[in-house]
Amino acid sequence: MTREDIKTLILEIIHDIDDEADFDDLDPDKPLRDQLDLDSMDFLDIVMELRKRHQLQIPESDYPRLATLNSCADYLEPLLQDA
Amino acid sequence: MKVPFLVIGGGLSGLAAAIRFARFNPEVLLLEKHSRIGGLNSYFYRNNRIFETGLHAITNYADAGNRRAPLNRLLRQLKFNRDHLDIHQQICSEIVFKGVESLLFSNDFMLIKDEIASKFPRSSDGFDRLVSLLDSFDPFTIAPFRSARLFLLDILPDRLLVDMLLCPLMYYGSSVEDDMDLSQFAIMFRSIFQEGMFRPGGSIKTLLDRLLDHYRGLGGSIRTSAGVREILHDGRKVQGVVLTTGETIHCGSILSTIGLDETLALLHRPPLSSDSTRLGFVETIYQIQTCRGPTLPTDRTIIFFNNSESFRYRRPDQAVDFSSGVICLPSNFAGLQATTTKEVRSTHLASYEQWQTIAADRQAYESLKTQTAERSRLVLEDIVGNFGQAIVFQDTFTPLTIERYTAKKEGAIYGNPQKIKDGDLGYDNLFLAGTDQGFLGIVGSMLSGVSMVNQHILNKF
Repeated sequence: MTREDIKTLILEIIHDIDDEADFDDLDPDKPLRDQLDLDSMDFLDIVMELRKRHQLQIPESDYPRLATLNSCADYLEPLLQDA
Repeated sequence: MKVPFLVIGGGLSGLAAAIRFARFNPEVLLLEKHSRIGGLNSYFYRNNRIFETGLHAITNYADAGNRRAPLNRLLRQLKFNRDHLDIHQQICSEIVFKGVESLLFSNDFMLIKDEIASKFPRSSDGFDRLVSLLDSFDPFTIAPFRSARLFLLDILPDRLLVDMLLCPLMYYGSSVEDDMDLSQFAIMFRSIFQEGMFRPGGSIKTLLDRLLDHYRGLGGSIRTSAGVREILHDGRKVQGVVLTTGETIHCGSILSTIGLDETLALLHRPPLSSDSTRLGFVETIYQIQTCRGPTLPTDRTIIFFNNSESFRYRRPDQAVDFSSGVICLPSNFAGLQATTTKEVRSTHLASYEQWQTIAADRQAYESLKTQTAERSRLVLEDIVGNFGQAIVFQDTFTPLTIERYTAKKEGAIYGNPQKIKDGDLGYDNLFLAGTDQGFLGIVGSMLSGVSMVNQHILNKF
């Protein structure tokens, strides 16, 4: 997957959690949680969906690395290079 | 047989937990002892009609747009469509302390605020302070028991107002006598006064069926009439369960929603709290024929009342304490269709021991049930007007009835006075959710199931 594919995947998952989420003014360097009003329970859904769709086991200590759209791409790119 | 995840108890917390897990992994089995799901909120058929066992109202009403509200968080976590709830909001509810004072409240928090400002002017500022203190208070931080009553008496100069505020919150969720844990109070205050109450349009069965369909649609499995006789364990890890039929089911993890002592019993361990009092209740359903003209109020949904000088919320010395209680008029939710019959429901505190003693004599027990329904009706009629002439059917649940159908020890619907807030029972792969984890009400218990799965189970797969 390319960085762009990964970003699309993340947004797809978020849209699945909240179909009214508005991505128009999303800043890829700012925390997703603040911009999209996601709580910790919603955030867990992103992790679980990644596991379900791509068999990725993300340890809890790495959750902060999924904070922004760009940091998601940084973190997931090597893990999803063959996906 | 082996399943990765097993949930014991098909009440609302167990159902929610099983659905939450099934969203990511369909290999989950839900075991329910009874032939029907729902636990405390189930249903039965009598007189050619369906009756709900426990439901008065669902608390935690929230508008669809309020993302952070517990109700909407729950729906997102389960991916359960809000339309399936078929929400009908309460019209207006009331706290009535006979001959002394009354307070109206609804799903608009301003109503009770204004009521307090006009009826308890000395406490008006204190009430605002209470609201802002609760706003900044995190009830989910695990802390030792702190008395809500003492906390309130410190802020509100009117003792009567303290009792009046506690009355509905205790009746809808306190397992402690004459008091509540402050965290529990904070949760209930928000659930009932700041958010409000609603009910589904059909019966609870419609909602349970939809939840079950959703669960099955995700691939989850369920077995009803499947009581657990013991949980197999080595003191540290659990390996599975043995059913009352003798069948063994091995599993990876277990979430038990059947209560703390009830779960310990399956582990062959003694109860943690043999000395504390459990609160029992009696509930009577009166089915009324509308055309026989009882002039029941149409503008009150739930009435919490107290007729005695001081409000008591404790186990009575007699079988039933008629001096206070709850009246539910289930047809008085907004937008429900008019029907030829309606219900009046009453709830009072009761003594499990007294009912158990008399139960040895079947006839005396039945006659006490009838007397209870009569006495309760007279107490209710004093508040809502006469309806006795229009009753076509009535049924009374005693603490023994509740124990039999829900398997809640001593019929105590709010469970053990001692709560295990983190769900940790000292095992690697067995956790507790539901009533004894400390979240109450339908939304609360379902969130309990969801959050225990999030915290303890999902990360193991």
